[in-house]
Amino acid sequence: MNRRRLWTLVRREARATLRDPFTLVVLVAVPLGALLIFGFVLATDVKQLPLGVLDASDTPASRRLVADIGATGTFVPRRYRSRDAVARALVGGEISAAIVIPPDFAERRSQEVQLIYDGGEAVLAGNAEAFLKSLVVTSAADVVPTAPPGGVEVVTRALFNPRLDGKPFMVAGTFGFVLSFLTTLITAVSIVNERLTGTFEQLQVTPATSLEILLGKILPLGAVFAGDVALMVVAAGLVLGVWPQGSIMFFLLVSSAYVLISLALGVIFSATSATAAEAVQKTVLFSIPLVQLSGFAFPIRNMPLVFRWLTELFPATHYIRVSRAIYIRAAGPTAVLPEISIILLCGLVLVLYARRTIEARA
Amino acid sequence: MSRRFWSNIWAVAYREALVRRHDVAFLGVVVMQPIMMFVIFGVALSNKPANVPWAVVDRSGGEVARRLVTDVQATGYFLPPVRLAGYEQGRRLLKRGKMLAVLVVPDEFERDVERGRPRVQLLLDGSDPLSAARIGAYVAQTAAAFRPRDRGGERHAAAPAIDVRQRFWFNPTLRDRTFFLAALAGMLLTNLCLSVTSTSLVGEREAGTYEQMLSLPTTSLEIVLGKLVPYVAVSYALLLFATLASGLVFGIWPQGSFVALVAVTFPYVLASLAIGVFVSAVARTSAQAVFISVFFVMPSFVLSGVMYPYQLMPHGVRELGGVFPLRWYQIASRRIIERGGGFGDIVVPALALGVIFALILLALRWRMRPRLA
Repeated sequence: MNRRRLWTLVRREARATLRDPFTLVVLVAVPLGALLIFGFVLATDVKQLPLGVLDASDTPASRRLVADIGATGTFVPRRYRSRDAVARALVGGEISAAIVIPPDFAERRSQEVQLIYDGGEAVLAGNAEAFLKSLVVTSAADVVPTAPPGGVEVVTRALFNPRLDGKPFMVAGTFGFVLSFLTTLITAVSIVNERLTGTFEQLQVTPATSLEILLGKILPLGAVFAGDVALMVVAAGLVLGVWPQGSIMFFLLVSSAYVLISLALGVIFSATSATAAEAVQKTVLFSIPLVQLSGFAFPIRNMPLVFRWLTELFPATHYIRVSRAIYIRAAGPTAVLPEISIILLCGLVLVLYARRTIEARA
Repeated sequence: MSRRFWSNIWAVAYREALVRRHDVAFLGVVVMQPIMMFVIFGVALSNKPANVPWAVVDRSGGEVARRLVTDVQATGYFLPPVRLAGYEQGRRLLKRGKMLAVLVVPDEFERDVERGRPRVQLLLDGSDPLSAARIGAYVAQTAAAFRPRDRGGERHAAAPAIDVRQRFWFNPTLRDRTFFLAALAGMLLTNLCLSVTSTSLVGEREAGTYEQMLSLPTTSLEIVLGKLVPYVAVSYALLLFATLASGLVFGIWPQGSFVALVAVTFPYVLASLAIGVFVSAVARTSAQAVFISVFFVMPSFVLSGVMYPYQLMPHGVRELGGVFPLRWYQIASRRIIERGGGFGDIVVPALALGVIFALILLALRWRMRPRLA
């Protein structure tokens, strides 16, 4: 490997990338847009959710129960006159949960209150359930203090994220999304375009070796994406107030290693495709399981066994795990050693394979 | 509208269909993607906690605490608990991400039971807030229903003050599969209409065939409309695939009017296709068109409510999601497929889709002056 030749290639690639205004916009806008969008979508706390109320008893006790439920601001009670009206509102999506109070509430010693959820919105119903049931039980204890309270009280403390805020979880995952998807896509398109315009063949007839060509592609793009990571860290901190709890330097280091994997994948996709459209199709097809199965959006733990094994094969899974560990639980190098060694191993294998695909093209 | 107009559209549509039938990348999108998404959303994904690793620090060592742990275990969401000697060990495991929850039973737990005020502590890993909130709720509910003094069948006479019965309508076991699959067609159609249409027009311009068509007796309006016809047909084929696959494999058939679903699909497909055409009018190369459309599809998945409930998003973000056709379509298809709605339930979503379509057409008129490369 000749250092001067490599340096020339690196400079050439950097200039070509930074000259195109569209690529520049994508490099800045997509990571920032992804951060802002993903940062806000995951909410665990239920706020101001419309709650249908069918109060058949209409007594002071039942009215107080409804007022108590509305007082916390979690639910906004809306009164309905009949069961049909409640059913229609549930179908139409006006309300996602409803409480039905029987006519003989207040009179009997053991009251039965029915809670109805819109199971069609499964996630919403699951979240609302957690709040509504305990709210009804505690409010009811105040309203009807006849029977002794049973059960064990649970004092819950969430470590690392006491208010169970969705932002840190999503921000740490967004790094994995951007570095896997955007990086691979840009690399793939850049190489295919070079092949279509014929400049790639020109490179191959120069004295540069295939390894030098590969590094000449990967190093400048890698630097650009390392810059993207830094940009995202700062933007997440300033705009969303989410800073890494662990070492920033360590996070940047791990991210740079991971960028190599995505770059190598981009090279492989483009080297095995005839047109830019095909390379893009491959990247997008590959990115569907990546986004859904890597634990970015949905916990891997909840998947069937086969899929849990499958996800372990994606480097993105391991990177997102590490990124969350550093960002939220302030993990140090020793705590995430196995994951990091997997990332490094994948990187090595993929870079070597990418070099072979480039050679095969020559 | 002369007869010429329709026959020109038909001719362009026929040509487009012929070209696409031989396009391997297109077939990949139409065949591979639907199957992949169907498997992933039907089988793999779920927000309902499962296989939760947890630990117990039992300082009381008594029989009541053991019964409480068994009761929590019996909810079915948890793996068998790991017994730990101390609090610090539990914190360390949480920090390393090995455990999601640690239940701490205090020394004087049995004495508290006798006094009638038993308490336990639950430490949760807050780094995955959605799972943490659910797990916390399951444990709290189990503990609230727990009868500490009820030993071996000897039931206590005192009934609880209030008996809360819960029902989940439309989805009794609260499976996420039903939730996801009801929106599957919407996701597939956004993908198809945007990514394919956007590249199709730019591709013609790049290859120079757009100029050729302009030189024929076809107007640019006829060309655009003609090119969209085959995709409307493919869209309905995908809707049929999503409905049949969910029905045959998982038994999730539309509970409401299928005709209404077909009807509301039309403005949705039109709006999505129009966005695709708009992207191709803005983009210079097909690579740019792909970038723009992919980065339109991603946020529309996340913000529309097909994956996360939009009702829980903060104001501003929630309203922003209304820009995406997928938001309105998923509202309509959930009403029909899951909750058994009919034509009356799709009026508002259909109107919203119509408005989006009209706005994009206006934007297109302004942008789509005859442009030659």
